[in-house]
Amino acid sequence: MVSVPIETPAAPRPLRVGLFVTCLVDLMRPRIGFAALALLERAGAEVVVPAAQTCCGQPAYNSGDVDASRTLARKLLKEFSGCDYVVAPSGSCAGMIRVHYPRLFEGLPEREAINDLAVRTYELTDFLVNVAKLSDVPGRFSGRIAYHDSCSGLRELGVKQQPRVLLAHVPGATLVELTEPESCCGFGGTFSVKFGDISARMADNKCAQVVACGADTIVAGDLGCLLHLEGRLRRQGDTRTRVLHIAEVLAGDVRGRTSAGGDRISEAATGERT
Amino acid sequence: MKDDRATVLDRIRSASGRRAARLDRASNTAALPKIEGDLAARFAERAVLLSSDVVGPLAEADAPRAVADYLRSRHLPLDAVCWPALATLHWRASGIETSARAARGDDLVGITGAFCGIAETGTLLLLSGDQTPATVSLLPETHVALLPAKRLVARMEDAWSLLRREHRAPPRAVNFVSGPSRTADIEQTVTLGAHGPYRVLIVLTN
Amino acid sequence: MKLAAADFKSKAATNLANPSLQRALTRLQERFVGARAKALAELPAVAPLRDAAADIRAHTLENLDHYLTQFEQRVQESGGKVHWASDATAVNRILLDIARAYGVRRVAKSKSMVTEECAVNEALGAAGIDVVETDLGEYILQLANEPPSHIVAPVVHKNKEEIADLFAQHHQRPRQTGIPELCREAREILRPKFLAADMGISGANFLIAETGSALIVTNEGNGRLCTTLPRVHVAITGIEKVVPTLEDVSLLLRLLPRSATGQSITNYVSVLTGPKRAGDLDGPEHFHVILVDNGRSHLLGSELQPMLRCIRCGACMNHCPVYQNIGGHAYGWVYPGPMGVVLTPSLAGMSGTIDLPNASTFCGACADVCPVKIPLPDLMRALRTRQWQGQMRSRGERLGLAIWAAMAMRPRLYALATRVAARLLQLMAGRRQSIKVLPLGGGWTRVRDLPAPAGRTFRDLYAERHTRQINRPQEDHSPFAVSPSAKRGQHRASEQRHK
Repeated sequence: MVSVPIETPAAPRPLRVGLFVTCLVDLMRPRIGFAALALLERAGAEVVVPAAQTCCGQPAYNSGDVDASRTLARKLLKEFSGCDYVVAPSGSCAGMIRVHYPRLFEGLPEREAINDLAVRTYELTDFLVNVAKLSDVPGRFSGRIAYHDSCSGLRELGVKQQPRVLLAHVPGATLVELTEPESCCGFGGTFSVKFGDISARMADNKCAQVVACGADTIVAGDLGCLLHLEGRLRRQGDTRTRVLHIAEVLAGDVRGRTSAGGDRISEAATGERT
Repeated sequence: MKDDRATVLDRIRSASGRRAARLDRASNTAALPKIEGDLAARFAERAVLLSSDVVGPLAEADAPRAVADYLRSRHLPLDAVCWPALATLHWRASGIETSARAARGDDLVGITGAFCGIAETGTLLLLSGDQTPATVSLLPETHVALLPAKRLVARMEDAWSLLRREHRAPPRAVNFVSGPSRTADIEQTVTLGAHGPYRVLIVLTN
Repeated sequence: MKLAAADFKSKAATNLANPSLQRALTRLQERFVGARAKALAELPAVAPLRDAAADIRAHTLENLDHYLTQFEQRVQESGGKVHWASDATAVNRILLDIARAYGVRRVAKSKSMVTEECAVNEALGAAGIDVVETDLGEYILQLANEPPSHIVAPVVHKNKEEIADLFAQHHQRPRQTGIPELCREAREILRPKFLAADMGISGANFLIAETGSALIVTNEGNGRLCTTLPRVHVAITGIEKVVPTLEDVSLLLRLLPRSATGQSITNYVSVLTGPKRAGDLDGPEHFHVILVDNGRSHLLGSELQPMLRCIRCGACMNHCPVYQNIGGHAYGWVYPGPMGVVLTPSLAGMSGTIDLPNASTFCGACADVCPVKIPLPDLMRALRTRQWQGQMRSRGERLGLAIWAAMAMRPRLYALATRVAARLLQLMAGRRQSIKVLPLGGGWTRVRDLPAPAGRTFRDLYAERHTRQINRPQEDHSPFAVSPSAKRGQHRASEQRHK
């Protein structure tokens, strides 16, 4: 497949991609945001990170607070209005914008602008493969990866082959398929807290499959899934299985992310934990 | 005080804004699977998959002998309740005693014909009637069905067309039979022979 | 059936810890999920069938009064009678009237979820009428005095040892252990009941408006026996079950058994029209249909209307990871799984069912497999929205979300709060890999650790690096700060390699 350059003759400037880092990445794992940034720049995009971004509104939406969701959607619309694309390292946040924002604004005056935002919004791997046509990545890895298909990305956005295609370009990364890669990990936002017992069991089911297929690393495209799975693994006494976001693996930004996991940002960051 | 009929209909109508019925809709025949080729072969293949036994096609006059052979080979009784419509076949000559009536709880073998057979799924279609009592295919442990090959249709929809052509209105019971009765209620394990027959023999005739 | 959904969480916890149930649920998943996929793969194209099935159901709901009145007329023309029941009380009143009119003392019943909904067995029992369930699963439940845990495989939660015990206890026969033997025993015990029954009660999978017929799908043959042997047959089902034509129902029948049990067709499909005709040698003398509302009409004209398309196949619960782990009894009413968490609040009321529509991760597996394309997660969200607008959820939850939303709308406050929170969490983790206990975060840490965070927010780090870039654009060696010219060169290089 020919790589179509983003820089087309009709549009001499590189396309502006607004990076929506997501609230979880911002708070818990900034390096996922930086990995996404690096990948997008490698793909030739000019990446902007609107400083006022906060949350896409999904927690409010899924709890039934429609008003708060709309307010946050309007805010996001404004922040990303100067971008050709909006890209998020999260299927659920991208899905919220792409699939659910239009529903929130049906019959409302902002409907057209919201629709326009929605069609420009992508999950990271989907963007890299299908829009930017990125075909090589800086990442190097060593280990056996089980890829978990986060539900929103899979079912709302059709993210299935894209991460696998990209992982195939990472030397040293062996992909092993779970028996049920598409079954929910049990995070589900507030579900993880409200229905903890069921959520934990669903995580155990997924982690058992990871062990059974001989993988030493779980990779997914949504930090919610990853924090939940990693949290459950550590609680069950598994300190060895690595749990990584796909952006980290593709960008090669897994230093300091040894089997112990953890995430310390410092200029001298190396494997700081045992 | 409104009666329940008026109450329920009123609720339904008010929900739709009391507008007139909009009955136009697109046909859905394009979505249906096409069933083509040798209908008898397809019927037999599917019926066997559903655990029916199939013999023939053979001449209708030879059916009693084929049935007697089947019953003997499985050590089943040669005593059957039979559709009045089939009573004139030469059962006794093949060793089978038949009673032309509705079935009773203790009948062990029931012999019926069929209105038609549906190749898509290997299914028999039986109509209830004064010559074709419904219990004969239901109460006995063994159900034998004589099905003329020329009465094979491709799909259930074709069976309805045939029914509409040949009958003014549906009879009391239109029964689609696809093999012996079964249940999987215990540990999701399929067991043949629940409340209906344990086995079904289909004799294709020509 | 009495609603008991308020203790969903504790029932779920109990079921998660029940090894025998867990084994049964694994069996269910292994059988039904695989069987459905295999059966659908036989069809040349499933998507057009699903679209057509959804269209048939949606069209019917848009014209429900038309099709119900057409159905009623055809039933009357064929010698039967239609009764309308606005609620469960009416169902039982009508049924007892019919029973009294015909001197009914004994009833043989085939499976009907609607009759569970309306507690028909209890009403008949209270009137001194003997009712026996004849569907093997329902019969076992009757012996055990338990409700069903699945709409298609009602006794999925029991293993054969438990069933063998029940039979031994109730049948006065030596205890059988083999499954075929247990089935044969049930046949022998129940056959006389069919023959002795005065009235057969059935549900109806579909009602066909064109002909005034009730359509029943079974595998065991009990449905046929209940509707053929007794002198009175009463079919009880919801108003939403009507379908316009015989051809429509044939299309739906391609999807119902495949979605439910993985069968290309159920063993028996019975299309029943009116009582026995003059000259018929068998069949009921009287044919009655009770059309049940019981809250269904309330969904019409609302965003929940698609729920009424449901054809009760059970595929949604078979594929639901929540149901797969907790089983059906946790849902506290007749209908479990995804269709249950929508239908139960809709029919049995919003209070007392608060947990149900919230007990979902919105994974979407249910919507993927629904043969009539009911957007189940959207309907669950609609119920959550109603709960929210009715202030039906806990104050703590409402407060928490209000605070979150208020901060998210205020970027500077948000930046400050997250800066503090990130630092605090890092301090709590210390040198450890993860945090074991979170004050105010007990819901999370009760069952899992919180992996240690970075300690700084992306926002702050990006602002720092961005400033550094601007200040020293050529000297920055950070892998993330690529100068514009280098960017273009890099990309063209990759473009060349992959042309």
